[in-house]
Amino acid sequence: MNAPRQLLRIQCIGCIARILGKPVQRVILPTGAHLQTPGSQHNYGQLLRPFHCSAVCSTSRPSRTQLEKTVEDETLNKDKSLVTHDDLFERAARDSKTKADFNRVVDVFSKKDIRRRGHVEFIYAALKKMPEFGVERDITVYNKLLDVFPKEVFMPRNFIQRMFNHYPRQQECGVQLLEQMENYGIMPNVETKVLLAQIFGEKSHPMRKYQRIMYWFPKFKHANPFPVPHVLPSDPVELARFSLTRIADDLDAKITIYQYPSTDITETGEEVMRPHIVGIQSPNQRSLLAKHNPCRPVFVEGPFPLWLRKTCVHYYLLRADPVPSEEKVEEEFDPEMMGPEQSLFYPQRLDLDLERDMGDDFRFDVDDVEEGPVYAMCMAGQADQVTLSQWISGLQETCPILGQIPTVFRLDSGPRELQTTSDAQQTPEQEVETDQITEEEPLHSQRVKQGSASVLRRPRVYP
Amino acid sequence: MSVSLGRNVFAPRVAQKGDCLHHFQSRRFIRSSARSLTYAKDLFLGKVNKAEVFPFPEISKEELEELNQLVQPVEKFFNEDVDSKKIDHEAVIPPETLNGLKELGLFGIQVPEEYGGLGLSNTMYARLGEITSLDGAIAVTLAAHQAIGLKGILIAGNDSQKAKYLPRLATGEHIAAFCLTEPGSGSDAASIQTRATLTEDGKHFLLNGTKFWISNGGWADIMTVFARTEVVDKDSQKKDKITAFIVERAFGGVTSGKPEDKLGIRGSNTCEITFEDTKVPIENVIGEVGGGFKVAMNILNNGRFSMGSAGAGMIKRLIELTSEYASTRKQFNRSLSEFGMIQDKFATMALNAFVMESMAYLTAGMMDRPGVPDCSLEAAMVKVFSSEGSWICVSEALQVLGGLGFTKNYPYERYLRDCRILQIFEGTNEILRMYIALTGMQYAGKILTGKIKEMKKGNVGVVFEILGKKLKDSVVKTVDFGLTGKDGVVHPSLTESAKMFEQNAAHFGSTVESLLYRYGKTIVEEQLVLKKVADVLINLYAMTAVLSRTSRSVSIGLRNHDHEVLLTNTFCKDAHFKNNFLLTQLQKNSPENNDANIKKIAQEVIAKRAYVCSHPLDRTF
Repeated sequence: MNAPRQLLRIQCIGCIARILGKPVQRVILPTGAHLQTPGSQHNYGQLLRPFHCSAVCSTSRPSRTQLEKTVEDETLNKDKSLVTHDDLFERAARDSKTKADFNRVVDVFSKKDIRRRGHVEFIYAALKKMPEFGVERDITVYNKLLDVFPKEVFMPRNFIQRMFNHYPRQQECGVQLLEQMENYGIMPNVETKVLLAQIFGEKSHPMRKYQRIMYWFPKFKHANPFPVPHVLPSDPVELARFSLTRIADDLDAKITIYQYPSTDITETGEEVMRPHIVGIQSPNQRSLLAKHNPCRPVFVEGPFPLWLRKTCVHYYLLRADPVPSEEKVEEEFDPEMMGPEQSLFYPQRLDLDLERDMGDDFRFDVDDVEEGPVYAMCMAGQADQVTLSQWISGLQETCPILGQIPTVFRLDSGPRELQTTSDAQQTPEQEVETDQITEEEPLHSQRVKQGSASVLRRPRVYP
Repeated sequence: MSVSLGRNVFAPRVAQKGDCLHHFQSRRFIRSSARSLTYAKDLFLGKVNKAEVFPFPEISKEELEELNQLVQPVEKFFNEDVDSKKIDHEAVIPPETLNGLKELGLFGIQVPEEYGGLGLSNTMYARLGEITSLDGAIAVTLAAHQAIGLKGILIAGNDSQKAKYLPRLATGEHIAAFCLTEPGSGSDAASIQTRATLTEDGKHFLLNGTKFWISNGGWADIMTVFARTEVVDKDSQKKDKITAFIVERAFGGVTSGKPEDKLGIRGSNTCEITFEDTKVPIENVIGEVGGGFKVAMNILNNGRFSMGSAGAGMIKRLIELTSEYASTRKQFNRSLSEFGMIQDKFATMALNAFVMESMAYLTAGMMDRPGVPDCSLEAAMVKVFSSEGSWICVSEALQVLGGLGFTKNYPYERYLRDCRILQIFEGTNEILRMYIALTGMQYAGKILTGKIKEMKKGNVGVVFEILGKKLKDSVVKTVDFGLTGKDGVVHPSLTESAKMFEQNAAHFGSTVESLLYRYGKTIVEEQLVLKKVADVLINLYAMTAVLSRTSRSVSIGLRNHDHEVLLTNTFCKDAHFKNNFLLTQLQKNSPENNDANIKKIAQEVIAKRAYVCSHPLDRTF
């Protein structure tokens, strides 16, 4: 609410400054000190106040954490300033990595020094740590980071400054921050704009970057007609339902849950996992299957991968080989039912010896590759033949002919269960490796995670 | 009541008057026995068989007198004894009303006198239809009984079947129904699932299946049922073919479902009928086994023409009711009828009623001619035009009354609901448009195939001939089919309208040719093109009907014929420009044609099965 007004205010100040030919902020701003940017603890007054330091502020806070103390130490021992800001985060992350923790680090940094010494390094470090804390898709966090920049200082005040790259490092850092937002598909909001205007001014590079993002992002927001949500359903049945409807782009296709996941305890006391089996079949597929020649086998094939953002799921197909041309039965054409002057209301075809003129024939010359029909798809909690035959017997209820058709299972030795992000990218060799060296597992997954993060750094336009 | 009607209605005398018509009168008599010419179909070739439609068909003086004798009591009955509001509200026709209808003989209007019916011609049937249409439920009940229900026996039954069933049907003692539609088969007869199997002894058929939306289904005693039967064809292969049966409810195994609760024609009875091992003797096959298709087609194709007069009857009544209101109701110190927009509505109603009437009686007259007339195309056009015209007119009439028309205190809302069915039953208008366009295309295609093939081969002679003709057409703008002028059949006061018609007819012929050239037999798939073709043809036929009717009226000096001239000229001008636009749209690469976009919109919507656009208030940032 406050933000647009603030923006307007900045512009006004700019105007007055230009008219008067001297900086007026000092005169005006302290009076407007009550105007705070939303979500930020600071105001102009604080900025302009002389060298009172944040240590005073932080003592006034009720609870002082270990973290704050370390920061204070750092502040006091200026010669140790080479300590990287990564350390700050590492230390904060010792027990937990949450948004609150991340915000605390940022707060502490902002409070510790009125001059915000080393803020560029801090912001770079924070940007790098964001995915770790799981805040890489949080616009408020980006705004908070942006708020770390001191206001007004980097604004060009005369035409020469405006002409040249004023405070290039800071501007570059601002652009970098926006770029990370862009890569994660986070759209800046008005608060971002206000902050950028306060920090760098109206015509700075970060502002330009912001404007470009705001030009393209809305245009591309719905470019993907089949969006995948950022948070996938955690229930494997729901996930399977989502994935299967995504593959089978047919509104008539019906999902059948053949088995819910459950755990049974047998008489001997053993725990038996009953995996979920979720299948999809459209009415057309059903009627095709009903017409299948029982002498020819059908195949259960899989697992085939389907990637949903960082998650990989696997599905299985029930398919058959293409029908050989000699077995194809021409659709019986009954002249009585279909012929000219014969069908009840109007002729279904004309008895004429005239073809469509070439000039009106807009069909493309397409070479059709004959493919076998796919009769159904499923996803299952286990990739063994037993589970999949349960699916086939479930299908038999609607397609009794399946009982007479020989069913061949052609299964690759795929994963045994739904994969998580980390093991999704493992090759079979890696799987063996992990089996052998279990202690290294955390480290290993860490590495893979970084790998997947590198994939994510590619521009991604669908938020 | 029993009115003696000793007329053979199948040979109505065509008495012709008027000087300008004389020439054709003599020619008509020469070929009156064998009718080989067709009117609407020949329009596809760019030919106008004026002998078919000029002069406007008449009935003889005696026939007219008898008809008037019959009309009066029927009109009185409908005005006094039929409580349409109650019928609509209670969704049932009271037995007294039904008995009254039976006494008037309205259940056997077209059944020959020897079987106890009134034995009226199609023309006279149409006249009675004008009155019965004042109550939609009664009109539909009567139509389901005799226009389709017993029509099978009448046109395709043998003598013993006729003798056995018609007398009791004609008096209304038995009520008939027509059972064709099935749950899985509306317009698509190929998917009829009801099956009739021959019993061991070969004397009966066992009928099994369900029929849907059967008018009179709840109380019909005699039903014309269509079912699949196994027939051995000439290659001694077994095949399924459709056979028509006369089924009595008394045969057993016939159950009717609950009557449907409908939007309009609520008093009529519509329900589902189930046959379960109904034993039908083989004598009850209509026509021959496996010949059910022809029977069904004939029944359906010939039952439609009367909808024109029915619609006209209804609109005429509405004009009386609304003009009364519009003249008395004052707004801003002026009566409603003085406002241009209200006048517009009355003109629309009058024009529509006039055109419908003309088309209906022209078609009925053509059907009454000796020989075996094929007027199915014309009948379908009458049905399409009048069902859509009625809907518009009833809606306009209601609009004149504003909010009052919307209440149940006035009959308008009932008329509106009742006449909605006209566009749906007896073949939906979409299907009939396909029928109209494709039948004509088939006919024209047969004749034009050779010529078009020559053109495609690049035969220089043919190409030049066509180019020459086109050049001539563009230089000499006038087309002359001989409607006007010295030996003209159209009255001189209508010359301008006749010229417009001729222009359209000629243009239509060449358009059909180019469409055949472009699409060949794949035109079946071009429904949007066919719709336009059908619309042009309907307009052309409507123009013909009004020109013919008014020419006669002026020539013999009917009362208020000047008003008819006015209506004719107005309608023809309107239709002419509509046709011009439609024909322009049918040209290749015509900028007026939006079909590709229309198809695309529909495809995108249907792919989503929802409205595609985002909400106008949605935001992306």
